Amino acid sequence: MTRIIVITSGKGGVGKTTTTANLGASLARLGKKVALIDADFGLRNLDLLLGLEQRIVYTAIDVLSGDCTIDKALVKDKRLPNLVLLPAAQNRSKDAINAEQMQSLVDQLAKKFDYVIIDCPAGIESGFRNAVIPAKEAIIVTTPEMSAVRDADRVIGLLEAENIDRISVIINRLRPEMIQLNQMISVEDILELLAIPLLGVVPDDQKIIISTNKGEPLVLEEKLSIPGLAFQNISRRLEGQDIPFLDFMAAHNSLLNRIRRRLLGPL
Amino acid sequence: MIDQMASDNSIPPIVQIQLQSALDKLLLILPPPSKADLPGDWPILEHALKTFIKAKEGSWQPEVPVHLIVEDRLLDVRQLQAIAEILESVHLNLGWVQTTRRQTAIAAVTLGYSVDQAPRIPTLLIPDPPLASPLYLTSPVRSGTEIRHPGNIILVGDVNPGGNLIANGDILIWGTLRGTAHAGAEGNQNAIIMILKLGASQLRIADLVARVSPEAADQGEPEVAYITPDGIRLASARSFKKIK
Repeated sequence: MTRIIVITSGKGGVGKTTTTANLGASLARLGKKVALIDADFGLRNLDLLLGLEQRIVYTAIDVLSGDCTIDKALVKDKRLPNLVLLPAAQNRSKDAINAEQMQSLVDQLAKKFDYVIIDCPAGIESGFRNAVIPAKEAIIVTTPEMSAVRDADRVIGLLEAENIDRISVIINRLRPEMIQLNQMISVEDILELLAIPLLGVVPDDQKIIISTNKGEPLVLEEKLSIPGLAFQNISRRLEGQDIPFLDFMAAHNSLLNRIRRRLLGPL
Repeated sequence: MIDQMASDNSIPPIVQIQLQSALDKLLLILPPPSKADLPGDWPILEHALKTFIKAKEGSWQPEVPVHLIVEDRLLDVRQLQAIAEILESVHLNLGWVQTTRRQTAIAAVTLGYSVDQAPRIPTLLIPDPPLASPLYLTSPVRSGTEIRHPGNIILVGDVNPGGNLIANGDILIWGTLRGTAHAGAEGNQNAIIMILKLGASQLRIADLVARVSPEAADQGEPEVAYITPDGIRLASARSFKKIK
């Protein structure tokens, strides 16, 4: 049974595309056949993060207009034979495609792949609807900021009204030192508000920006960085493995931080 | 203490979806179309219906026939199908459509439903049944969701920031209130709001509004909001009975 997962957040800039790229690459490394769909028509980025920008010949629009077959439009990743990308058209707007067309693309891919992962655009307008309607599961990406958490809550409400079986959350850009000093919302507080299962926590790291610019997902590094390891653990959890959560707080619970917390007091 | 705010006369009237029990069937009553954005309110109505039906799931016997009462709302085949699918997802069968619009009736016949094109029956459209049964909810009221009910509301779960709970009667929240709760929305000054855990939120009773600041939030015990001559007040649940 193919798993069709939409990665969404409501708010922009919280790391949906980074998450999609890393989970796709990591699942492919676990031996799964993975198709990634960039549903962000007009503002596509997923190709860039995967380092496939120069290899795009056809896009989803060409498939829908009958100019090429879906196999032709899929961009294959040299490093990962199991991973393909169905690119969005960059010169079109979100209205260039409707929900039925998206459903037909997903149906075609579902026959051939173990995972179809849809990178949803920000917002809750037509682009969001197109990305969500074909999906069976959803992963919410949020950051420990009130605005991102509120938008995530809104999106979960919208997803619950659709026929989405499973909804879980990834908390991205966690900064343990700020939580230690009570300057950031904690993982527990986010989960208390959203009331959905936690799939993983990814710490903030400048390596993520470097990997984005290089077009090389973190999970492909020889020696995994901490965020890379966090993404790999998430993909294993998706596969049903029981992987304990990394403890980011322990390293930061130093004597110095405890004193600083005392002096500064709670926020 | 909580801040009283200027009373808000612009609170919109209750327009809502209703599900009533009638002998061997359920009556699903859709609100009349709002004149302002006809026919653009369908996506909003569709979402509201999905949320409403999911929230009430489990409060009926499976496979109960549903009679849809839409009066002068115009529905096409696609919209009627969407309503039928929403009902099927919770094991309810749409069987009968009551409308005053010819096009809606034709669409319903096309889909094989029984149609009653009777003129408006005012008794079924009373927005405020004198004895509305309490609405019992078990899923959190998330940001952007608004639940309206003509009677009392019991919520087992949280009201998140941006969520709205509006009742003509009392509201009991067995969870944390971080959004807005409006009791006695049609003007009942005796309505109260009972809250297990009070977060930064807005409380409304009848036409009064009060803000609960983050500092005033969570006194560590359940609280009750009620109207006094000085505006909305909070009392701990333990002392509330004595005050009354």
